[in-house]
Amino acid sequence: MMNLLRAGAAALAITAAVGAVQAKADTTSVPLVETGSSLLYPLFNLWVPAYTASHPGADITTTSTGSGAGIAQSLKGLVNIGASDAYLSDSMVKAHSNMLSIPLAIASQAINYNLPGITNLKLSGPILAGIYTGKITKWNDPAIAAANPGVTLPDHVIIPIHRLDGSGDTFIFTQYLSDSDASWGSTVKFGTSVSWPAVAGGLGANGNPGMVAAAKANPYSIAYIGVSFADQVAQAGLGQAELLNKAGNYVLPTEATISAAADSFANSTPADERVSMIFAPGAQAYPIVNYEYAIINTHQASGAVAKAVREFLTWAITEGNSMSFLKKVHFMPLPPAVVELSKAQIAKIK
Amino acid sequence: MKLRPFRLAVLGLSLLIPAALCAVVLFLVIYSGQAIFFNGLHFLTQISWNLGDMYSDPVTVRGVQVPSGANYGILVFIVGTLASSAIAILIAVPLAMGAAIFLAEVVSPKIRPILSMLVELIAVVPSVVFGLWGIAVLVPLIGHYLAPNGSGYGLLAASIVLALMITPIIASTLLDALLQVPRENRESAFALGATHFEVVTKAMMPMVRTTLIGGIVLALGRALGETMAVLMVSGGGLNILPTSLFSPISTIASFVAGQLDSAQTDSTNMSVRALSEIALVLFFITLGVNACAKLLSTGALRVRKRA
Amino acid sequence: MSASALKSPRSAHELRRIITSQIGWALCGIGLLLVIAPLLDIVGVVAWRGLSAFSWHLFTENTTGPNGGLLNAIEGTLLITLFAMLIAIPLGVGAGIHLSEYGKNRLGSVIRFMSDTLTGTPSIVLGYFSYIVMIIGFGWGFSLIAAAITLAILIVPYLARITELSLQQVPNTMREAAYALGAKDSTVVFKVVLPAAASGVITGALLALAISVGETAPLIYTAGWSNYGWSGHFTHSPVGYLTYVIWTFIDQPDAKSHALAFAAAFLVMMVVLAINIGVRLTVRRTKFN
Repeated sequence: MMNLLRAGAAALAITAAVGAVQAKADTTSVPLVETGSSLLYPLFNLWVPAYTASHPGADITTTSTGSGAGIAQSLKGLVNIGASDAYLSDSMVKAHSNMLSIPLAIASQAINYNLPGITNLKLSGPILAGIYTGKITKWNDPAIAAANPGVTLPDHVIIPIHRLDGSGDTFIFTQYLSDSDASWGSTVKFGTSVSWPAVAGGLGANGNPGMVAAAKANPYSIAYIGVSFADQVAQAGLGQAELLNKAGNYVLPTEATISAAADSFANSTPADERVSMIFAPGAQAYPIVNYEYAIINTHQASGAVAKAVREFLTWAITEGNSMSFLKKVHFMPLPPAVVELSKAQIAKIK
Repeated sequence: MKLRPFRLAVLGLSLLIPAALCAVVLFLVIYSGQAIFFNGLHFLTQISWNLGDMYSDPVTVRGVQVPSGANYGILVFIVGTLASSAIAILIAVPLAMGAAIFLAEVVSPKIRPILSMLVELIAVVPSVVFGLWGIAVLVPLIGHYLAPNGSGYGLLAASIVLALMITPIIASTLLDALLQVPRENRESAFALGATHFEVVTKAMMPMVRTTLIGGIVLALGRALGETMAVLMVSGGGLNILPTSLFSPISTIASFVAGQLDSAQTDSTNMSVRALSEIALVLFFITLGVNACAKLLSTGALRVRKRA
Repeated sequence: MSASALKSPRSAHELRRIITSQIGWALCGIGLLLVIAPLLDIVGVVAWRGLSAFSWHLFTENTTGPNGGLLNAIEGTLLITLFAMLIAIPLGVGAGIHLSEYGKNRLGSVIRFMSDTLTGTPSIVLGYFSYIVMIIGFGWGFSLIAAAITLAILIVPYLARITELSLQQVPNTMREAAYALGAKDSTVVFKVVLPAAASGVITGALLALAISVGETAPLIYTAGWSNYGWSGHFTHSPVGYLTYVIWTFIDQPDAKSHALAFAAAFLVMMVVLAINIGVRLTVRRTKFN
């Protein structure tokens, strides 16, 4: 018995030793860790293999944990790159002056629904606010019917799905509701996690993947899902809503409508790049458009780590911003003026 | 007295256990201190859990900085925890009793070890695998056949998964006790003309009642603290008390696991402290329940010895 | 079923008693079925879907996003478990020795009670504790060592009680004989008592190993996750583990991720069940739960 134990221990020790040797074999690589936004995650998964292929020794772990985690873990120095659809709050910037919010690309968010037989639903901020506060409980509610003349809406209870984890999608969704619906703006407000009003049957899900899975599993549900999951959303048979923009038009998230919203901010983005592009003016502007941020601590563990972070981020906003990557996740590239702002911020990482 | 280095050494090692426990409890108490002060007793009785508006400036309330509008009430999670555990017990107890009685009295001693091993094996399946099975099998079943709004995530799914996880605890406790009932007690009941089933229900069950209750309480302790399986199938209810078996819920444990990252984005750190207070509440609930189980099981031993 | 049931019934009353009995037995049988059927279903579903996702690249490739293999997760689970056991075995066995050999006093019962309390503490509470203290407070970041220590806290009390139980089954005459020959405390324990109880202690260690392999909640906020194999660093370097794949990838909407989740679940379940079945078959008479 003791021999058995010894043999087992020896085997395990060998495993460990082999692991350690393997790791030491390429000491030149600086492992970077990215975590956060599940909206940005699919893009990181396209970026990282391409980047590591052209930059030998680069070694980047990507995880999808939600923007809340991206912000928090970057702040605590647990990861090098926090991915977030939300920029840092004023109070956060005040408390941690070394934290940067650096746009990497332009994303948007779709409102998706699981309504058998219906694919052309139109929705507005006030309607969504009504659904997520429990004032609108059925799909054939007069408010929804009024926005959708000619559509036969089912007499069925709506299942609103919200994010459980701290989420940048929650941030931009609640920003849209706050900007377009006064009562939401004064009560629930916006943030990466908000206090969701009590709605009987309302579900919580983790990450955008969880939102897609939950919306697929629950007929008559509605969910807000980052546009990088549009392909999975389509595969799941979910509908995409036309949203009412500030100019009073219903628009779908397309390259044209996303650009229409983002372009108006190209020259008004401040130096720290923390700006909301939600509910933008413009006849064709899609109302939920945002910068995808890397939340970065200017003080990295070492000069080598800082260099690796700078190199990767610079690559991301230049070569990484080519449509060959972005198209797959339905993102849009940063306008040149914003690329320059991001470069200036990246230079601060030491 | 002679100095005994070996005894001192193992004493030192064994003292690490209480030390770890004290460290955990002390840390939770100290870390949540500010939150306990800020929340008061409302913590346990309020429905609304609101991290506050993190995109406006923090405000000072009662001398501590918190995000404006922050309000930490955990009634929803307490109710979710108690309800899911209670329903799990309601499902598990009859199943476990049936299984244990059948194993003890009907199954031949040759097959019994195999079947009782199968029952015990359920207890060792990792909870995340239960969660996976819940998502893949149970939730679609409930959503398709039972739930009025078609959503299988919620109280019932959480309760059934919990029930499966705790049934073997109750069943194997009861089985052990039944097998230890002295021969004379059984035989004297048979001699009175009782049917075999009556022997079990009228003569044997009363003798093992305390052990059974001990097992149930032990199982309750496990159910109350279960995290992963519940997190995966509970639907993550927030700010609303469950009204039916199909309502989404959150339990204390699943909520802590799901919210730690969101809480970290609070620049005042109050939400992390509030989570620490939740963990403290959970700790004391399970401590109470486990202490009850311990008292009952020592009580049971005493009864058995006297009998 | 029983002798009395075979006699011809003499009255309606007796008939009713017999029918009640038969229904009672039937219900008990159904109870047993309902307990065992889900286990078989869980094993069946996980094995079916896990095996259909099986291929060699699971063991040769790292996870890349929600694709690839499971090499990094397998390696991580092995390492976390290994180091958790390296920490927990000396502590747990040592504590068990104290409780069994010298702990029949008030202090011993206090330690026993606190040990049981720690075993009963929900693992997420320990995970939370480790996150705030080790990951943030000590600044270790997501790391192998924090994960291993957290798991060790979880299994030490368990190991201690099992060791105690096994050592107590060693007859006192053996100790007395050894002391009579002039043996020291340590000699008695290491040369006489512990070898006699070795199978019990090893059983306990194996069961603790099974627990470590299957845990998730205490690791989420301590181990983190990594797409790569271990970096060789104990701190500041997250590690992947199999249970992470199960709980995150099943939430992804695509079939590939689900396949990985089931493959990981299959691996974890097989290890846990194999250890438990093996232990129960070899040590059938001893109960350690």
